[in-house]
Amino acid sequence: MTAARIIMNEIKGYHRFIKLMMVLVGMGALSAMIRFIFGLGVTTNLNDTYPWGLWISFDVVTAVPLAAGAFTIGVVAHVCHIKKLEPLVRPAIVTGFLGYSLVCIGLLLDLGQPQRGINVLRYWNVHSPMFEVSMCVMAYTTVLTLEFLHPVSEKFGWHIPLRLLRTLEIPFAILAAMISTLHQSTLGTFFLIAVDKLHNLWYNPLLPLQFWLSAIFTGLSIVIFEASLVHKYMGQPDESELLATLTRIIPWVMGVYIVVKLYALLFLRHGPLFDRPVLTALFATEMIVGVFMPFSLYLGKRIKTDKRLQLRAASMVIFGLVLNRFNVSMFGMEQANQQIYVPSLLESLVTIGIIAAHILFFVLIAKYFPIFEHHPEATDYTIPDRFRKVGRPGEGHGSPSEA
Amino acid sequence: MSAGTVNYAQTRSFLIDTTKCTGCRGCQVACKQWNQLKAEKTTFFSGEGYQNPPQMSEYTFTRVKFKDYEKHGQNEFAFYKEMCMHCNEPACASVCPVGAFHKTPEGPVVYDSKKCIGCRFCMVACPFGVPKYEWSKAFPLVKKCTGCYSRVKAGLEPACATACPTAITYGSRDEMLKEASRRIAAKPERYYKTIYGKEEAGGTGVLYLTQQPLDELGFKKITKRPLPSYTWQALRLVPGIFLTVGGTLSAISWFQHRKDRIRKEEEGMQEKDK
Repeated sequence: MTAARIIMNEIKGYHRFIKLMMVLVGMGALSAMIRFIFGLGVTTNLNDTYPWGLWISFDVVTAVPLAAGAFTIGVVAHVCHIKKLEPLVRPAIVTGFLGYSLVCIGLLLDLGQPQRGINVLRYWNVHSPMFEVSMCVMAYTTVLTLEFLHPVSEKFGWHIPLRLLRTLEIPFAILAAMISTLHQSTLGTFFLIAVDKLHNLWYNPLLPLQFWLSAIFTGLSIVIFEASLVHKYMGQPDESELLATLTRIIPWVMGVYIVVKLYALLFLRHGPLFDRPVLTALFATEMIVGVFMPFSLYLGKRIKTDKRLQLRAASMVIFGLVLNRFNVSMFGMEQANQQIYVPSLLESLVTIGIIAAHILFFVLIAKYFPIFEHHPEATDYTIPDRFRKVGRPGEGHGSPSEA
Repeated sequence: MSAGTVNYAQTRSFLIDTTKCTGCRGCQVACKQWNQLKAEKTTFFSGEGYQNPPQMSEYTFTRVKFKDYEKHGQNEFAFYKEMCMHCNEPACASVCPVGAFHKTPEGPVVYDSKKCIGCRFCMVACPFGVPKYEWSKAFPLVKKCTGCYSRVKAGLEPACATACPTAITYGSRDEMLKEASRRIAAKPERYYKTIYGKEEAGGTGVLYLTQQPLDELGFKKITKRPLPSYTWQALRLVPGIFLTVGGTLSAISWFQHRKDRIRKEEEGMQEKDK
């Protein structure tokens, strides 16, 4: 009883926003249970014409690139060794870890036979993009969990795992980038099979490359977005100077993305581009609001110092990515003269619950674990020598006795 | 994908001559009986035409589509049987993460319900919209025409082909193609000069002959290239990209950390000198 009371007291102290998130997560969990009792057909608006709906479009196809901050910032900070960006790494890894865990949950909800998910490891079909993505997502969720163990072991003072994780920092950053490159691009490969279904505005053989590039610049934008919000609402220090470094990297990737996209549109398409006005409008919105406008903002000088401009550009990029993934996986797949798919209430509640869970867990983890107050120089990484086997410093051979 | 072992010319195939179809729907009934599928409650005129049920579903693996058109000022009907096309290189088999679908050497594309995890990628991938889902169930599976694989293995013809009085011919794929060309050559005024399924999606195990232009009848225009090749052209690069990214990043990392290492070594030297 006392444990429950402590938890209740703790929760009472939370901000109203956090309580709202908890309610939304609860509603999402409830809706998810209803799906398992009554079935996909009853609780969702999916049907034989639209076998994939909101859960695939948002919880999987969109959430994966939105969690790309972890691997992109890992490469920039650890591999390229820009040390001053270190404070941005941990929040990004927590976001990635939460993002991927929730992708797994979203995927399990959407599978018809979630209890057989393990079959992916038993029966391999290397020709399937879905096989590749599930393997990568499993592997990468493991890597992210290990990376997330870093602040956890710091909090509880587990020295040996901590030392191990520290030495693995760079290999993990590289591994993360290797795995992410594969599955971020393969999410685009998914839709290459829909050659007569996905509209020409999005269908082209370079779709995987576009998915990968947009995941990179969105991943970095997510880091900016998150750091700005955390500064604004959680009283964390202003990082806009560090973010300025990212704003110098992003336009390069966006530039390549624009070139690839235009090249694919002009030379690799299979049919007419502007025959469906609604899709044309969606495409224009995606490109103008989500790519060209933030691109010009990132190129400007003011963004190096202006926090508000940084947040605005990052938000636009994120909006553009969400719209792009929905365009590819949902809107662009709808055929002319077909009934239009609209997610049901329960489907939407589950997705809202997943988004709320992400925010909620992020805030809670930041509250209880050293995510922002990360000072590697101040942490003691020596192995505690309880059994006196290592020998006192100064007594062992080899080291000069100065003590 | 057991593409290497299947000789498509010898796979069992359907030749459906829609000019001979009387619209009796014997095939529909035979299919329901052999596969023990439930009847569906439907209302008349609920679909795009007179056909019933309005679409293929978890309970209906095949059905006859009705299409009315005008010829010499007269109202006419055209019928054609809709079913799994049993592609030579099936998209469903290529995208299934657990390999629940496979093209049998005999011809039919079959589904192993014990492997399926229910991701429904097959439904997204199939250009003909064939695999259907048990939307009514809490833990649903995919349902589709099996090409009556159990019958074919026993040397019988599929239930629908057996029941059909006029329109379905069943045999090896190149015999069926030859027969189709022969019919077109013998009565050029009767047939539209295309065999649907000959090249569609890289060739299918169901071939159609029609009198009307295919698009007017509602046949989808489909790429001639086998669909698995579209994703494979990207997927085959995966191991190379994986290693390239790893190698490049390792090299960058080594290079970027070099300055630090050199500085540390120099500091160590200075310490020793003291």
